[in-house]
Amino acid sequence: MSMPLRIEGELTIYRAAELKNTLLAAVAEHDTLDIDLSAVTEFDTAGVQLLLVAKRAAAARQHTLRLVGHSAPVIDVFELLDLSSHFGDPIVLPA
Amino acid sequence: MNMDDALATFFAESRELLEQMETSLLGIGQENDTTETVGAIFRAAHTIKGSAGLFGLDDVVSFTHVVESVLDVVRDGRLAIDEPMVTLLLACGDHIGALLDALETNPGQRDESLIERGAPLTAQLRAYLGTGLVAADEPQAPFERMGGINPCEKDLWHISVRFGADVLRNGMDPLSFIRYLGTLGTVTGIVTLTDALPAAEAMDPESNYLGFQIAFRSQAEKAAIEGVFDFVLDDCTLNILPPNSRTGDYIELIRSMPEESARLGEMLVRCGSLTAKELAAALLVQEQRHPEIIPIGSILVEQGSVAAPVVAAALEKQKRVKENKAQESQSIRIDAEKLDQLINMIGELIIASAGANVIARKSRNIELQECHSTLSGLVERVRDSALQLRMVKIGATFNRFQRVVHDVSREIGKDIVLVVNGEDTELDKTVVEKIGDPLTHLVRNAMDHGIDSAELRAKRGKPAQGTVSLNAYHDSGSIVIEVSDDGGGLDREKILAKALERGLIEPGRVLTEAETCALIFEPGFSTAEQVTNLSGRGVGMDVVKRNIVALRGTVDIASQPGVGTTVTVRLPLTLAIINGFQVGVGKSVFVVPLDMVDECVEFTSDSGHDYTDLRGQVLPFIRLRELFEVPGAAGTRQNIVVVKHAGQKFGLVVDTLMGEAQTVIKPLSRMFSQVKGISGSSILGSGDVALILDVPALMEEAQFPVTHTPQLA
Amino acid sequence: MNAVAPTPPHLPTVVASTMPAMRAEPTQYLTFQLAGESFAIGILSIKEIIEYHALTEVPMMPSCVRGVINLRGAVVPVLDLPARFGRPSSEVTKRTCIVIVEIEAAGERQVIGVIVDAVNEVLDIDATDIEPPPNFGANIRADFIQGMGKVKGKFVILLNVHQVLSINDLQAAGAAVSKDVLSLN
Repeated sequence: MSMPLRIEGELTIYRAAELKNTLLAAVAEHDTLDIDLSAVTEFDTAGVQLLLVAKRAAAARQHTLRLVGHSAPVIDVFELLDLSSHFGDPIVLPA
Repeated sequence: MNMDDALATFFAESRELLEQMETSLLGIGQENDTTETVGAIFRAAHTIKGSAGLFGLDDVVSFTHVVESVLDVVRDGRLAIDEPMVTLLLACGDHIGALLDALETNPGQRDESLIERGAPLTAQLRAYLGTGLVAADEPQAPFERMGGINPCEKDLWHISVRFGADVLRNGMDPLSFIRYLGTLGTVTGIVTLTDALPAAEAMDPESNYLGFQIAFRSQAEKAAIEGVFDFVLDDCTLNILPPNSRTGDYIELIRSMPEESARLGEMLVRCGSLTAKELAAALLVQEQRHPEIIPIGSILVEQGSVAAPVVAAALEKQKRVKENKAQESQSIRIDAEKLDQLINMIGELIIASAGANVIARKSRNIELQECHSTLSGLVERVRDSALQLRMVKIGATFNRFQRVVHDVSREIGKDIVLVVNGEDTELDKTVVEKIGDPLTHLVRNAMDHGIDSAELRAKRGKPAQGTVSLNAYHDSGSIVIEVSDDGGGLDREKILAKALERGLIEPGRVLTEAETCALIFEPGFSTAEQVTNLSGRGVGMDVVKRNIVALRGTVDIASQPGVGTTVTVRLPLTLAIINGFQVGVGKSVFVVPLDMVDECVEFTSDSGHDYTDLRGQVLPFIRLRELFEVPGAAGTRQNIVVVKHAGQKFGLVVDTLMGEAQTVIKPLSRMFSQVKGISGSSILGSGDVALILDVPALMEEAQFPVTHTPQLA
Repeated sequence: MNAVAPTPPHLPTVVASTMPAMRAEPTQYLTFQLAGESFAIGILSIKEIIEYHALTEVPMMPSCVRGVINLRGAVVPVLDLPARFGRPSSEVTKRTCIVIVEIEAAGERQVIGVIVDAVNEVLDIDATDIEPPPNFGANIRADFIQGMGKVKGKFVILLNVHQVLSINDLQAAGAAVSKDVLSLN
């Protein structure tokens, strides 16, 4: 069962510590987890790291983690750092 | 150093640079990779311009500036250097030389007409700089002057940066740096390095673990790129590797640095392949690894701060600068007059030493004799060293002819190449100076009359390109210079016809091949159908011969029809001091140049003939007593000094053999110049004067038959 | 009218040293004897006077060129003046000297010695006492004579050293002799 975890607001260093716990808990709990990024307003390196760590954690447990609904700031960073290869999720560009 | 000295040095050095430019330009046609040479030519022009600027020689500066600009474009690879450009640049070099000459003779004056002459040259130069750039070999899009790199896909900067752990905590974000980098160029590829990211539990969400490898296209300088990361430099490991094409640029820059010694790190920073901060970091590492001594170059390459070839180039440059400095201090300019004075004094020293020797021997004082023996050994060594000072290699003279051949071949429309051999052969400075003109004429002659036309050459199965060659070597006390061509050879019939016409020989006279060829040297002789600008005016060969004879030399010509011609010039090695072999005839003492003495034999049975048997070979001889009308009758016991010259041997019959001695040549008054057989005089240790025999002249005048000497060496 | 100047004390008849410069009067002449006749050469041309000593003969030169000597390291040609004048040579006596003359011709500085039988005094001969060369007699090439100086009622032949010692002349003479000699071989 895929459960979307929706992140709202800043996915940045300011909330990194708190979001880390949330993410990792969610990863542990669900076999398949979708993270909905459509409401992310800001995204920085710390945020990138969190997503990366989450992905690894999922892999370690053989759970599936998917990123969906990349918002504009997220797309921006993903392109800047060419992160698609790290995550493998299709990025749907807004029309 | 005062202004005059500095200016004099400037003129001398600029002339040397112009010479170097010329040599480089002439050689460039044969090179596959002209980068090095073009760089050298550029630097020469650049240096002249700069120095001229220091002295306020505005006309030189402005003309040379245009030349430099064109060379700069070539250097960048935007323009190819071809034949017409080489010719133009040669002409420009000449003009700069003329400007310098004018300034040297009339300082402070502007020679308007001379400056005018530069105008067409400048116009041609500007044509190269105009909007219609001539494309170089590789297809290139036109681009801006800055940096001058070729914006080609593969040609990218490689930046590798690992941001430090506290970067985020300190309020900075790698993203902003990468974005900022984007303002200096285009990030064509990026890899995010996540290997430092620990497992989830251990990960500190506020620490940074990321690194990046960035492929970056940019015209910016390394320091500018490094500057992007200024705020985090202390906190990260940064590696910026310039694009491959830059390596060439850096190497070029290093090579073009002024010839002053510099430390490796400094050189690399100066050329832009290394930033000051990278150097500082490397120096720190070097210090830390002390007492282990690691060359800074290795550290830099290890750190990935500089590409290995660039370091290699810098090291090479360092070495070269050091060598040049060492060499520079090894050679100094001296006044030729002072050198001559020194040689003269050494001549006096030798005579005085010989005089002392005579007395020492008479005194029968062993100590004195030994002492003097040491002294005369030293005097001999001083003499040899001093004579060496006057010896210069003929190579410089020979290489001047490259220019002559280049210009003349274009003028007369024949494709001719000059081949030079024996450049290291040394000869006396005065001889070198005086041999220039005769040689020039011989070379021009070879080109104009010697080398046959392209059609004839094709018919004869010869390569389309004609060859004129210069060769020099030592041979028994003389220096031999050969000027050869692979042209049509001397036309014997034509020569005879002309000689007849000019009344140089009587009709019906039969001449040997050698005699026919020798007719060329008669005054007023020329078989050229058209008197060209260069030769054939009929004043050539006889003047050449006269100049060479004035140097106590000889000149001969030999040729094979259809194959080629060789003119052989022989000159004495030195005009000042020779090793002599003294012989006595009656009460007179004569000196034979030792280099020409082959051996001595007794001469007892005088059959009245003028030849004798030397181990089965015929040896003709001259009786000096008779020749020189020495009073008194010859004794029964005489000697023959066998001399060798130009491959021929003959004998001189003398009374006594007196042995070897250093001989200072004292010129004889001009009133004796027509005396054939005597080339000079010398003062013996006893104070008496001895006459020096001119062996070649004796041989020539005595007219030894050339035909029946097949067995002689 | 000038009185004859006494022999200057610093000039013995035979000397092996350079004469001190007496440049003031251009009318001073060194007089000497050749085969009984008196000749003179202007002081300005004279470098020094030396004893006669062994010459080195140079072959294939006309007989007037007796040879060369070593003059302090320089090889100087020596002329036999009577022979130059076409007369028989004198014998060498203990009074025979070599007068070293220095002339400049055509930009060349030439040092040449001439053998004289004996050296006499240095005399002042005023220009008014010099008469032009005679048209007859004298037995010497007219261009060799600069003038006839009247001294004590007698005539002294003033030599034109530039002509007497003309290098070109002697060189040509040498060429002729040399060609002759060598063609015999």
